[in-house]
Amino acid sequence: MALLSVHSTRGNYRFDVAEGRSVREALDLTDVRVRAACGGTGVCGACVIHLISGDVSPPTPAEYLKLGPEQRTAGRRLACQLRLKGDAAIRLERPARVSPWKSIPPENLQPLIGGRADVQTHRLGVAVDLGTTSIRIAVLDRQGGRRIATRYGRNPQGDFGADVLNRLEAARASPKQAAELARLARGAIVRAVRDILARDLGEVTPMLAQIGQVLIVGNTAMLALLTGHGGDSLLDPAYWQNAIDCRPNDQAAWHALWPFPHAEIRVVDPVGGFVGSDLLADVWATGLVAGAAGALLLDIGTNTELALWDGKTLHVTSVAGGPAFEGAGICHGMPAEPGAIFRIQPHGQRYRCQTLGGEPARGFCGSGLVDAVALLLAEGRLKPSGRFAAPVMAEGYRFDPANRSTTVIGADIDAFQRAKAATAAAMSHLLVRAGMGWGDVQRLCVCGAFGRTLNIEHAQAVGLLPSLPVHAIELHSDASLAGCERALLAPQGADDFSELIAKTRLVNLSQTADYEDRYIEQLRLRPMMLGSSVPF
Amino acid sequence: MLNSFIKAYNEAVFETDKDAAFNAVNAALAVGIRAEDVVFKIVIPAVEEMMSSISQDPDANLAQHFMTAQIAAEVTEKMLEKFDHPPEIVGRVVIGTAHGDLHSLGKRIVMGCLKALMVEATDLGANVPAQRFVDEALAHDAQVIAVSAMMVHTAIGENGARKVRRLLRERGLEERIKLIVGGAPYRYDAELFQTVGADAWAADGVSAARTIIHLIEQVKHHEVVANL
Repeated sequence: MALLSVHSTRGNYRFDVAEGRSVREALDLTDVRVRAACGGTGVCGACVIHLISGDVSPPTPAEYLKLGPEQRTAGRRLACQLRLKGDAAIRLERPARVSPWKSIPPENLQPLIGGRADVQTHRLGVAVDLGTTSIRIAVLDRQGGRRIATRYGRNPQGDFGADVLNRLEAARASPKQAAELARLARGAIVRAVRDILARDLGEVTPMLAQIGQVLIVGNTAMLALLTGHGGDSLLDPAYWQNAIDCRPNDQAAWHALWPFPHAEIRVVDPVGGFVGSDLLADVWATGLVAGAAGALLLDIGTNTELALWDGKTLHVTSVAGGPAFEGAGICHGMPAEPGAIFRIQPHGQRYRCQTLGGEPARGFCGSGLVDAVALLLAEGRLKPSGRFAAPVMAEGYRFDPANRSTTVIGADIDAFQRAKAATAAAMSHLLVRAGMGWGDVQRLCVCGAFGRTLNIEHAQAVGLLPSLPVHAIELHSDASLAGCERALLAPQGADDFSELIAKTRLVNLSQTADYEDRYIEQLRLRPMMLGSSVPF
Repeated sequence: MLNSFIKAYNEAVFETDKDAAFNAVNAALAVGIRAEDVVFKIVIPAVEEMMSSISQDPDANLAQHFMTAQIAAEVTEKMLEKFDHPPEIVGRVVIGTAHGDLHSLGKRIVMGCLKALMVEATDLGANVPAQRFVDEALAHDAQVIAVSAMMVHTAIGENGARKVRRLLRERGLEERIKLIVGGAPYRYDAELFQTVGADAWAADGVSAARTIIHLIEQVKHHEVVANL
């Protein structure tokens, strides 16, 4: 990692940057982006910055074309061409407007496989993972099988409530609110796409017309809110074990709301109940059903979804995990964005909080919270009941005495316990319902909120993940988006998801007392017990 | 002697350590303390202690409430098997989640506390029609119907507590059976319980158990007065 210091009109920043990455790519992950109007090829010349000092790559031919000799001797460089070999400092005189959209770190993305020779016109495709808390988007060249760019940002529906039920209720309460909720999600998707087209292709309107397909996966509630269809069914327990139709009532009228004149806009059908098509995309991206029996997948989020492959059937379920792992409902919680504490390590008598992008800590994301709880527990500052041991007071525990945003309070521990108990109980319950035990689990794929930064040993110590051999546990980031991208590039496209649905069996946790017993059993902060097929 | 077991049990409950709680109880039984005394001198005071501490600290940890209520319920259940005579029941309540609502966890804490306090609680489960609440209350000779609702539309909807109230009124049961509601929507609007026709509400599972016992006493008092 190299340290990049940025002096801009908006302030000074320091970021950890992978060596060899361009300054533009690095800043696209943050709030301080350079201006851009091409895909980082040096064609547009908009990303000119001033290099103050540093160990960097020499000017490229593109920079010789775009920058005159005086500019070059004055230290001007193109951010998209400039790569860090070591620490560097730059001045950014005209940063791009602040955007709620950031690029997904490239290391979190899966390589694309193949293009589609059958796609002759309208080559662009848009993959959307519509989550309760965040929206993730990729624009692909479908024919070439190439990713143009990605973005992620918050789902603006959050103003109507962090959890899915509040939003469904708001939509049910009035058609006006329902329309507003749909408009918010749609607007967010469109703005993210426009941001990609403007910055990475250099043109917006002509490129909107080049989009041939938009594929949207998400949990059932998010899909229903987007199309305005299916939400009422979801609020009716009679439907919680049934397929729910989230397709818009009037496809043509719905299509007209989007600025994609030539695109097939498709919401991938959810499995049923609260189990959405984002889970199917996860299953696809991780190759869950392609492999051996005994593969369990966990998509952790506000609406946590699970899938268990027994060799013949894909048992699926969902559970209200609560938004704690996405940083909502936590005093100093935040999504996995720059400035989020994603890892905490003991450091002498104190702790070292590592943040995304190396920025000053603004709060905890899910993996940081897991570390916080596990370390406090291991050192006896926190008891298995979830109570702080004396002398930690009501105001909680501060990991960095100089920074208030590094504090964990009692209510955070409570929210954490309930979220981890729901997750652990759902896993155990699904195994029992499939007639399997922990001994049968060969593979556990953890997708969703934690990305790849989760400390598995810590997650095991607090009872969030089972104490399986570490090699059996895989961390996947952006698996839903990866599955959606694959569908965009597959000849059958979204139809393959229907084949997957045919293999599923939906388990509803809300109608079983066993699940509740397991939930209460899992509330204590301690490793999960895996002894028998029924863990107690 | 008893005091050391009380201390050990209270510590175990405070730590939400079920194994330690059972160890304390088993140790008490091993030295000849009767199951009745375990319940009335160890378990029930611990539940009452929890009830009074929660009113001072309403933000106390919900996870801990789940675990302590579960411990109280399990220990009581085991002890009841060892009672020489069946204990005197304080009263009876039927409890369930409103029609259209499948959130059943909330009432677990109430059930656990009631069980330990010798209130016979019948769990009707989730998504319970109003008619069934009333029918089951009559069948069990219950003094209280407790309706939990976690969503706004099931809390205020026509088929939830409102309909239970209407049925109680139509059948002339309002003095005999009291109606209590609980769940998140009632916390946001402290007067909502009256809007839906309930006699009482509770902000959390632990205080719900206490309020239910008050309602049972009201009904019993009314019966005594009516029979004078």
